Amino acid sequence: MGCQHLEELYELWLLGAISEQGSLDLREHLARGCAHCLGRVREATETVYLLGLASKPARPHPRVKSELLRQISRKVAPNR
Amino acid sequence: MSEELAAEDLLARVAQHDVDALSELYDRYAPCVYGLIAHILPSRDSAEETLMEVFARLWSESPSLSQEGGSVVAWLVVTARESAVDRLRALRMNVPNAGPQAPSADAGKGSKAHTRKSKAAVLAPSAAKSAARPLNGKSEAMKPRPADGERNPAVGPVPMAWLPRPKEITLIDDRLVLLHKVIDQLPKPQRQALELAVFGGLSESEIATEMGEPLGKVRTSLRAAVTFVKHRRRAVCGTWAANI
Repeated sequence: MGCQHLEELYELWLLGAISEQGSLDLREHLARGCAHCLGRVREATETVYLLGLASKPARPHPRVKSELLRQISRKVAPNR
Repeated sequence: MSEELAAEDLLARVAQHDVDALSELYDRYAPCVYGLIAHILPSRDSAEETLMEVFARLWSESPSLSQEGGSVVAWLVVTARESAVDRLRALRMNVPNAGPQAPSADAGKGSKAHTRKSKAAVLAPSAAKSAARPLNGKSEAMKPRPADGERNPAVGPVPMAWLPRPKEITLIDDRLVLLHKVIDQLPKPQRQALELAVFGGLSESEIATEMGEPLGKVRTSLRAAVTFVKHRRRAVCGTWAANI
């Protein structure tokens, strides 16, 4: 599969929206180390990032942070 | 801790087991990350669990992530979406341990404490819930979907090397309001298909089923939508000349 054909697939591939065959073709192409396509994939993540930010920000409950830091601190403690 | 520290500097500190640095990154980005996750998942409990997982991953993977030079917030947003979509797909398939399923009225509610410039629900509010509560109004979130051979369940974790550099993300963030207007310009069918892909985690064939449209038409709509957004983003960010 040529680079030109893949141009319109990177974003949808990152979103998991294209067919399995299309995904396999793209993976195979990237695995060959195509620098052009690797650059395009990086650009595609910018678009995925932008689309993700279309959702409205929301403040999680404070206990989520407390629980996260409690779990993290428990991991760190044995190393100290 | 100084608020002027770049996220990538904070990440380097996280990699040195600095819990305060993680706390700072959480305060800075949790609202936009949680907003995205809550937009995708049908319950507050599952959204909160996913949020914790994402930041726990940031902690555990920080040594390698900090070496790559990619944008921390881009990693958070892309990883959060992927994690939430994986969980949503598991919920649809009724996979055990996919998280609590009780609906919550306040998941996804806004807050005055938003720390990032983001237009409210630019991809319509129905988007989120089009994934969890699709367009036909039926409770499809928990409905197993057949393996149809078209499904592309996961690209897998996006390597940090594939992520934009912080400078590129700053360009987007500085123009976010304008960029969201670009998304608003999409024709309704294209926008609807894109919503189902971004927030519903549906493949193109699943979107075709959901919308009751031929696969070829949906495929064309999705590609046209992505191309439009990509080209306008290049133009708005000054990386490509085009009229808006």
